[in-house]
Parts: sequence; structure tokens; C-alpha cells
Amino acid sequence: MSERKTVDIDLNRVEGDLEFQLDIEEGVIVDARCKGIMYRGFEQLMLGRDAEDCVVLTSRVCGICGTAHMYTSVLALEQIWHAEVPALATYVRNLCLAAENAQSDLRHSFLMFTPDFCNESYADQSFFEQANALFAPFKGSIYRQVLQYSRRLLEIVAIFGGQWPHSTYMVPGGVVSEPDHRKVIDSESILFPIRSWFEKTILGGSIDEWLSVKDSASFASWVADHPDSVVSQFTQMSRQVGLDKIGAGAELMLSFGAYCDSENWLNAGDRSVQSHWVKSGVYDLAAKEHLEFDQSLIEEHVRYSWFKDYGDGLHPSKGQTVPDYDKDSDRYTWAKAPRYNNRVAQTGPLAEQVIGGNALLQSLLDDFGDSVWLRQLARIIRVASTLQQMFSMLDGIAARIGQPHILHLPPEQKVDGSGFGLIQAARGALGHWITIDKGKIESFQIITPTAWNASPKDSSGDPGHWEKSVLGLPVDDPDNPLQIGHIVRSHDACLVCTVHMVDKRLKTKRVQTFGL
Amino acid sequence: MNVLWLQTGACSGDTMSILCADSPSLEEIVDFYGVHFLWQPSLSMEPVSHLLSTIEAICAGEMTLDVLAIEGSIITAPNNTGMFDTLRGEAKMNIVQRLAEHAKFVVAMGTCAAFGGVHASGSNPADCIGLQYDKQNPGGLLPHDWRSSSGFPVVNLAGCPCHPNVMTKVLAQLARGTAIELDEINRPKDFFSTLVHQGCTRNEYHEYDVEDTVPGDRGCMYFNLGCKGPNTEAVCNQELWNGRNSKTRAGVPCFGCTSPDFPTSKPMFTTEKLGNIPMELPSGVERAKYMAYKSLAKRAAPVRVSTRQMKP
Repeated sequence: MSERKTVDIDLNRVEGDLEFQLDIEEGVIVDARCKGIMYRGFEQLMLGRDAEDCVVLTSRVCGICGTAHMYTSVLALEQIWHAEVPALATYVRNLCLAAENAQSDLRHSFLMFTPDFCNESYADQSFFEQANALFAPFKGSIYRQVLQYSRRLLEIVAIFGGQWPHSTYMVPGGVVSEPDHRKVIDSESILFPIRSWFEKTILGGSIDEWLSVKDSASFASWVADHPDSVVSQFTQMSRQVGLDKIGAGAELMLSFGAYCDSENWLNAGDRSVQSHWVKSGVYDLAAKEHLEFDQSLIEEHVRYSWFKDYGDGLHPSKGQTVPDYDKDSDRYTWAKAPRYNNRVAQTGPLAEQVIGGNALLQSLLDDFGDSVWLRQLARIIRVASTLQQMFSMLDGIAARIGQPHILHLPPEQKVDGSGFGLIQAARGALGHWITIDKGKIESFQIITPTAWNASPKDSSGDPGHWEKSVLGLPVDDPDNPLQIGHIVRSHDACLVCTVHMVDKRLKTKRVQTFGL
Repeated sequence: MNVLWLQTGACSGDTMSILCADSPSLEEIVDFYGVHFLWQPSLSMEPVSHLLSTIEAICAGEMTLDVLAIEGSIITAPNNTGMFDTLRGEAKMNIVQRLAEHAKFVVAMGTCAAFGGVHASGSNPADCIGLQYDKQNPGGLLPHDWRSSSGFPVVNLAGCPCHPNVMTKVLAQLARGTAIELDEINRPKDFFSTLVHQGCTRNEYHEYDVEDTVPGDRGCMYFNLGCKGPNTEAVCNQELWNGRNSKTRAGVPCFGCTSPDFPTSKPMFTTEKLGNIPMELPSGVERAKYMAYKSLAKRAAPVRVSTRQMKP
């Protein structure tokens, strides 16, 4: 007979409210319940509105990735209405999404993840003084530089879209603001100093040199040759406290594909496929196998959520979101459980880049496995390729000045029907599934990246990715749950649009379990 | 100045917005105005246990709370228990109410906290309200005659999100002890006595009644595309967003997000009209005179404007 203890922990520096309920036996986690504890009913409040209004409202689902939500809604409407989108508009949309993603990667990495290295529990570590010099909130050098440069990056969204956050410059058929060369040069003049800073401080070398690092051995040389770079110091600190050994979870990685293909997206005869510059796909970590992505294989389960249960999983186009709160049942969250082909999946910058063909991350994944360190490294280094992509997007815009930025849809083209938009937001795979009836929104289902990562158990009882990733972990101080914080924050958790996590307790109950 | 920032039914948009402030910036109000965040959900380094002990210390009168900043709608569902939004099993609405009694100032960061906002629209599935208003109706979580210990009602920094520099400037003002004058819905007059229309670079199109009928063009969006700029008090075109631009300059209609009824149930990209003239006229204008002015204005339009040669 052993004692099983239940503790509740909650986490800040995630966007939103999250509590994690952990069952602990003999000092290790044996079961975990990831609880989304805030419910706004966003999907319901769009019902019955004009179809185009959803583009204004969905950016308000999430203050951090509103551009991605807006983009996704527009894609869904364009699919239903068979809208043509001029290439110039797609370039502008991609540039703004890239700016939002780079800002999010920087802010998350250095305002939310790395401050944990300054936690008092690490006071005895050799890096403690250096970590504080770099990463301490409002004081560390990198912290302050990121405040400044992330703000500047978003000026690019304002230049093309009016403001960030929460503008509505994408509409079905294009973008509302006419691009010109002034805007291109203004954006480049913002990007040049950010690129120089990123190269000098974060990477320790030029992006071109960095992008030639393609396997674990070259990465080890880079870290040795550039010891003062943030990438190297972050890697050193992470390994010193074992972040390269914890946080593996779901064996399936998922990406919907990043940045729509300006030339092929709408002309692809098969409208059920949306083509992206960084390709979509699924990667099976256990079988080391890359698979094609098929959105029809997505289903959501609500057996452990505070929604009316509909039995097994449902495809999001048929999804139902009817709140049914009961604190005394075994249900525990406002998040649904999405599954891909009945399997638990994880999504984010690591999945996106491995599926997109990033040789370095594939090599590191093969050699060291999935971990907190690798996931966070993937987020930091994605900024390098995003900055490069932004320069080429600006070239693409400059080359198309004078071409249309919007193609108007005649009212008769705005027909009823169902459609979806799929894209990679900063945190991973984002999908909207919309049905329009008599010109009004009849159903609206959103699956956010964090919905995949923070999912509860499904109807077969299989735990979600985070729940899996903490199993077997020894519990450190439940009042200062550092390791669990590292794991969750390595996913850049965003619960506002999924449904916030950790610190602890509430109740300690004794359950008698009998060993076999 | 101790500031405790809590998120209730929020999208984090106001936190993200304040990170974009540049006059003054977030780090400047910390460095130079002595703003000290007891808690900020996205930025605090300490674990949530620190928030809980801080709340208890404030409520026990052991710690001074200068500003309680609330971001997000107050979620009261289900059945007025507030259990759709909890911290450690306690409804956030109760926590906010407990803290408000100890705060010198309570500041609503954004339209959601001020009036209910997006989450209170449509069928309002989570029964959302604002801190001291329920949409335009006085009385929210706190009664209309409620005052904080400094004698102020909730200070409503409206906007979806609130303009970044409005938040940092008001925090700076409170930190230096400057008096704040409020309008009739408790928004600081310094920031809500300007219309979005003032400073819009499409004004010349409005002047000569050159009105767009489809999105993405260069004209004025007031007559057809739902723009509420002439009726909405906000500094968007006076103090630009991200130091660069505004929605209306970029071709996005103003959706009136600093108003208590935002978002209304009406279609957002369409202007409701009486005849050819918007139902809702610019603030304070008489319909007959406006109609006469508009028909003259159209005839006076120079070709460079009527053919939309001018870039907004």
C-alpha cells in the first residue's frame, strides 16, 4: 500500500490561466491532469454574425497571435467563396505573420522562458550570476534588448496593417493597405539593425554562417567557437540543469505548413489542400517517419472537458462546444482533446522545422531526442530563418508594387458553405473550421496550437502531450515548480486562446492503491 | 508605486499592447517613474504562490496596493458563481472584488475590463460584465457609486486593446501623483477628448464626400464601410500605434473599440444608413445641415480627390 498525493500547481509566464493537477506516488508523478481554467465561449459569441465579422473578432481570441487567427479565418472564408488572392497580398500577409512570429519567439524565449535560469533554486549553479546579468526581468541585458527589438519588429505590422495587436487588415480577397516602396524601405530600416543584433548577440556569427550548421557535430563546434553567444550560453545552462533530458512527450509531431504559397495556394485545383512555403506534415518520432498531413484525420474529444459529451471524437467541421460545467465529476478542463489519426500529437517550432526539412534540428533530434532544451533552441533559432524570410518577402513585395493588393468579391460569390483555414502560428498548428448559412456564421471551431500540446485525456483515456511529458518526473518544490515550468514554457504555452498553469495544492487526498 | 495586474477573461492583448508602448515605454515607467509590479502575469519571475501570498498580504492590510490593474472581462458564469474563471478554485471575480477594497486606484486596462467588451457580445456565453459598467449601463462587478480609497471610480482605459501609451502614461501620471480628470464614463479626458477621425489621413476624402464602397481603396470609409471614426473618442490618429500608423490610415474601418457598446451586434463592415446618409452622424452634427454640407462638398471635390489620386 503506497500513498498517493494530489497537488495542484499553477503557472504564470504562460499566456492565460493554467493549473496542473498531479498525482504523486513515491515522489514521482504518476498521473497528470492539465486544466484550462478560464472559459470565454469565444466560438459561440460569433454565431449568427456576418461571415466577415469573424475576421475582426478572431484576432481578439488571442492578443499574442492575432495576426495568425485573422489569417486563418480569412483563409477559411476564401476557401468557401473560391476567392482569388493576388500574390502581393499573400506576401504582405506573410510578412506581417513573420513579424508577429519573430516577436513572439523573442518575447517568449527571453521574457518568459530564460528568466527561470534566475530562479533562486539555481543560486548554487555556476551560471547564476551570468544568467541574472543576461535574463533577469527588466534588468538583464538580453531582456532589455528584447523589449526594445520585439517592439520594433511589430512596427512592420503597423506599417502594412495599421496597428499591432488587433488590427483587421486582411479581408477575403487580399489586404486593405496598398503597399509602396516607402513601406518596404521603412520595414528594411527596422529589420537591418535587428538582424545585426541577432547575429552579434544571439548567434555569435552571421545568419548565413549559422544556416550552414547542419548537424550535431557542427553545432557542437559552433557552441565551442562562439561561447559568448546567447545560443551557446543557453545550451550550456540548459545542459547543466538537465533540460536536455526532460520534456519528451507525444511521439507524433504536427505542422500545418508555414506561410501560404503566394503562387500556388489558390490555384491548387484541389481546394482541400492549402500549400505553404514551409511544407505541412506529420513526423512520427518513434518510427522516424515523415508522413503526409491530412486534415480529415483530425478529431476532438471532450470526455474529460467541461463540455457536453458527444461520445467519441468529432471532426472540427462537425464540432460542438456546449459548456457543461460540473466540478464534482472526473472532467477537469475547458480545453478539448484534439487527436490526429487517433494519436496524441505535439506542435510548435521544433515540429514545424523538422517537418519543413531543417537538417540541424533533425540531426539534433536523432542524436539527443525530444527535450525542453531542443524545443526552446528550435524557437530561438527559428528567428534567424524568419528574419531572412522577411527580407525576401520584402523583395517579393518590392517586385510587385503596382500589382493589385486586393481582388473584390462580387456579392453573389459570397455563398453559403463550409471551409477551413490552416496555418502555422508562432506556437504551432492553428486551424479554423467555419460553416456559413444564409450569410451568417453557423458554426465556428478553432483548434489552437496549445490545444494540441495542453490537451486533456481523450475518450480512450490516453493523456495529452504535456500530461505525458511530466510522467515519471520527480516533483520538485510544488510551491516553486521549476521543472514543470520549464517543460510547459518550452511550448510557449498560450492558454488564453485555448482556454493559463502552475504553482500548487488546494487539497491533499489520500487514495489507497494496492501494489501488485 | 505598487501595481498588481490581474487577468480575468482576457486575450492578453492589453499586456501585449503595453509591451509595445514607446512614450513612455514599459521599462521607462519602471526605471524612471518607480512603477513596481507586484505581479504581472506574463512578466513576473516569481511563481504563482507569490501572487497568492501578495493577495493575502494586501487583504490583511499588510501591504499597500496603489493600483489594481485589471485586464479582461469579468466572467460571472455559471449562475453568477464566476467559476468559469478561477484561481486556485476561487472565482477571479471574487478576488478582484476583495482586492478592489484595498486599492487606492482601480484601473481597467482595456474595454473588456471597463465595459465587458468582446466577451460580453452576442449570446455572452460566459455572462461577462465590466468592472463598473455592464456595456453602457452603470454598475458592473462594482456598483455605480463605488469609489476606491482615493475616492475615484474605476478608471476606464478603454480600447481593444487599449492604446499602449495611454496605459503607460496613465500609470506614470498616477505614479507622479497628478490629478486625473475623467469623462462621464470614467475615461481620462486627456485621452478620450479626441475623435479617431481627427488626424485620419483620409480626412480630405471625407471633406469632399468621396466615399469608398469596397475595402482596400483610398477614400473615406465612414459612409459605407462601417467606420466609426467620427463618433469614437480615442487618440489613434493623434498618437500613432507602434509609432507608425493607425487602422483608419491603413484602410481598416474604426470599429469603435473604446465605446462601451463595442462590439455591437451590427455587421462591422457596413454603415447603417438613413437614405444616403449614415444613421449615426459625426458627434453633435444636425442631419439637415450635414446633408446640405455633403451635397455641396461633393460638388466642390477637386479631380485629384474624386479620382482618388491622393494616398492616405
